Amino acid sequence: MGIREFKLPDVGEGLTEAEIVGWLVEEGDAVSEDQPVAEAETDKAVVEIPSPVNGTVKEIRAEAGEMVPVGDVIIVFETEGGDDAPTETTTAEAEPVEAEETAAAERAPDEEVPTPEGRVFAAPSARRLARELGVDIGAVEGSGPGGRVSDADVRAHAEDDTDDDPAAVETEGVKSATRKVTDDGAEAASADAETGTSAGTVAGEAADRERTLAAPATRRLAEEQGVDLNAVPTDEERDGQPFVTPEQVTAYATARQDAQAADAAALGVAGEDERVPYRGIRRTIGKQMERSKYTAPHVTHHDEVDVTALVEARRDLKEVAAERGVSLTYMPFVMKAVVAGLKEFPYLNSTLDEEAEEIVLKGAYNLGVAVGTDAGLMVPVVDGVDRKGMLQLASEMNDLVEKAHERSISREEMQGGTFTITNFGAIGGEYATPVINYPETAILGLGAIKEKPRVVDGEVVPRHVMTLSLSIDHRVVDGAQAAAFTNRVMEYLENPSLLLLE
Amino acid sequence: MVVGDIATGTDVLVIGAGPGGYVAAIRAAQLDLDVTLVEKETYGGTCLNHGCIPSKAFVTASSIAHDAREGEAMGIHADPAVDMKGMRSWKDDVVDQLTGGVEKLCKANGVNLVEGRAEFADANKVRVAHGGEGQGSESIEFEHAVVSTGSRPVQIPNFEFDGEHVLSSRDALALETLPESLVVVGAGYIGMELGTVFAKLGTDVTVVEMLDGALPGYEDDVARIVRKRAESLGIDFHFGEAAQGWEPAGEGITVRTEDADGEVSEFGAEKVLVAVGRTPVTDTLDLEAAGVETDERGFVPTDDRARTNVEHVYAVGDVAGEPMLAHKAMKEGHVAAEHIAGEPAALDHQSIPAAVFTDPEIGTVGLTEAEAEEEGFEPVVGTMPLRASGRALTLDDTDGFVRLVADGPSGFVLGAQIVAPEASELVAEVGLAIEMGATLEDVAATVHTHPTLSEAVMEAAANAQGHAIHTLNR
Repeated sequence: MGIREFKLPDVGEGLTEAEIVGWLVEEGDAVSEDQPVAEAETDKAVVEIPSPVNGTVKEIRAEAGEMVPVGDVIIVFETEGGDDAPTETTTAEAEPVEAEETAAAERAPDEEVPTPEGRVFAAPSARRLARELGVDIGAVEGSGPGGRVSDADVRAHAEDDTDDDPAAVETEGVKSATRKVTDDGAEAASADAETGTSAGTVAGEAADRERTLAAPATRRLAEEQGVDLNAVPTDEERDGQPFVTPEQVTAYATARQDAQAADAAALGVAGEDERVPYRGIRRTIGKQMERSKYTAPHVTHHDEVDVTALVEARRDLKEVAAERGVSLTYMPFVMKAVVAGLKEFPYLNSTLDEEAEEIVLKGAYNLGVAVGTDAGLMVPVVDGVDRKGMLQLASEMNDLVEKAHERSISREEMQGGTFTITNFGAIGGEYATPVINYPETAILGLGAIKEKPRVVDGEVVPRHVMTLSLSIDHRVVDGAQAAAFTNRVMEYLENPSLLLLE
Repeated sequence: MVVGDIATGTDVLVIGAGPGGYVAAIRAAQLDLDVTLVEKETYGGTCLNHGCIPSKAFVTASSIAHDAREGEAMGIHADPAVDMKGMRSWKDDVVDQLTGGVEKLCKANGVNLVEGRAEFADANKVRVAHGGEGQGSESIEFEHAVVSTGSRPVQIPNFEFDGEHVLSSRDALALETLPESLVVVGAGYIGMELGTVFAKLGTDVTVVEMLDGALPGYEDDVARIVRKRAESLGIDFHFGEAAQGWEPAGEGITVRTEDADGEVSEFGAEKVLVAVGRTPVTDTLDLEAAGVETDERGFVPTDDRARTNVEHVYAVGDVAGEPMLAHKAMKEGHVAAEHIAGEPAALDHQSIPAAVFTDPEIGTVGLTEAEAEEEGFEPVVGTMPLRASGRALTLDDTDGFVRLVADGPSGFVLGAQIVAPEASELVAEVGLAIEMGATLEDVAATVHTHPTLSEAVMEAAANAQGHAIHTLNR
């Protein structure tokens, strides 16, 4: 008895997943080859999935209604045969791959050549070559003393395979490395060389062969240099076929670079691009931003508020706070003002549960404060802002910010936020469009506090003014509500003594 | 611009910076992958900090003390004093240099280093708890993971390691004063190496072993030479006796053993060293959360690409099973990294050498004669006794031999067992011969430097072919 795992095949159109609409068989059922066992729905159609074998259904691994990624095992069959058949998907019967498009480096992992069980006498370099060429070294006849397998034996074997089985070439593109060059190819190359092209100014004119022989190390070198081996000119031959050496690749690459540099110089282009990997926290931030921006339709409401009274209040309180060992910034005042606003406009303190199609109005007031760190943006969360005094808020926030800078902050300390505040004013900006810390519904950006002329009682006087930018998820909150909320926050910031009532 | 819960992303997450882990991390970084290496203690793992390197440092130091004392036949008279503190501080310098080197190499290759203890949250994420209270923790999401958490010494009942009376190999390598007497439980390679070190430094060493002989797993003639030399250093062996327990006695302790007939013996000593083997560290990782399976001994089964049952999770080094050797770990780390990067790498070596740093050393690689026969070869064997080696005589160190095993019909070299000074080095030539598919003729016809110990390898190859010059052919 054998076991045959069956993976969800590529149902077409490059689809990566499909929904299993229903099963047409049950565990224990006997099935015959090509008998439909399941229905799967793609975004275009419902298709039947046929059994690849005669046998019995041993296990059904996906439930009806489940979305399954292509390549996941959905059903296991018990077959009559002796040996376990290999796992299969219909992609294994994929259309022939153009040899030119594939290279050893692109070999998919499931095409791996297994390490032979028995002992084969061959040097490690020959073993590696065999793996590169997709050759089972156990099947290679060794020509060395006692039957030792050399590099040449491995190459010869790979080539024989190609000759014997043209289909193998189609599906196993790696073997193209040893495919024979046709007469046509060779002629085409020489013809091109004679006529020349626009690249004729390049020292070492480009050839245009269809196939080229080269050692794996040379192929790798070409890949590294971004050079097409078939374009590298050569007059060397191996077994009557064009053969390229590493020196030729290097010479060609250098000539090409020189020509490009000359072109660039002619156009007055200076300097080189630097490529920085998009990884780690930067990538995490990016993904989160993308998710937020593409999920929640953002609308940003801008306003400005006269905070002269707040500036004075903070100046007075700052010293008192310092005596108690706390550095008091404007942030705790803003947090308090925001909570007062959120209590009146609960939709800004909510989450849209898309699955349940419900808006969850949050019972807690946990405010995230965005902090720019060397590693990127982090958002520590201060819990229960409504229940805490100004100094406690200030001290907790300072601790969290420090931890974020040191990267010693824990995941828990960045979780559970219900609304976020970001302070781009700290670096002097006035207005911006903050991106919502999804799945929250709104985010408030603070601009810099600057002295600006304002009209007070009919006279133009200098006042301290702060700008506000509130982004909302327009699915949940409308513009009018955003404006009303902002007005309420502004009221508190204009008259900080009102905060005493909170 | 804001982000909520931060989970750092990485292409390759390596857990454990021992020889398997740091090699995997560096190699993967060389192949342009974004690599994060998590280590809870110090870089270099057991090998650099508590195993190979400190023990070999002590082997060297103790041999100098011993050889100076024993040089009278060569006309040298000396009475060396052993300053254990000085020896330890020299050993610590060696270790520090190497662990610092590993850290530098990791950084220079662009590996992200994270300190803390990693635990799988699921198949694509770990939580790393930073050491110390209030240090917080972080999540790291990975595309591929390499588990290389190594091993720890096995404890036996009634002998809980306390660092004072009951020592693990790690404790023994950190002693500040030389014990006057020591009972070693276990005559495997760790017990034999450390027993030899302490005996050479002047400690009274008694070895108790449950089995019938020293160095189980090695052929009798190999183990016999080493045991005899150990006896000549004054080590007292008691085979067939299982350690049952210990109690304090005066300044020291008494260790109680029992043989198969239930007869009880007692051995007094200052301390007892328990060296009965090592067990993989796979219980602190929550491997289950990632779906990674372990076997009944706690090892993680892997395939010839160092992959576990979870395709994107690899395991290398001691956690991946026997033999628990640093060089095996390094090879596996290399293969895991290259395979992750899409290179055609595989664990297809034909042999893994092993060395025991006793006096004389043991170096083995490949098959023994019996194993070759079992695998269906028609083995031929060639031996060169060290007493016929000019270099061995000039070293005043002639106990031992070089033995080559080869396939008769084809001549392919299949293995070697070497008992000799520097056997750990000599075995490398045979390892190369095996990997290259060299024949006896290839080895015998290669000109070797005279006078060296490596000539013995050439002679053994010639002996197997029946045309040795310096020994009588079989």
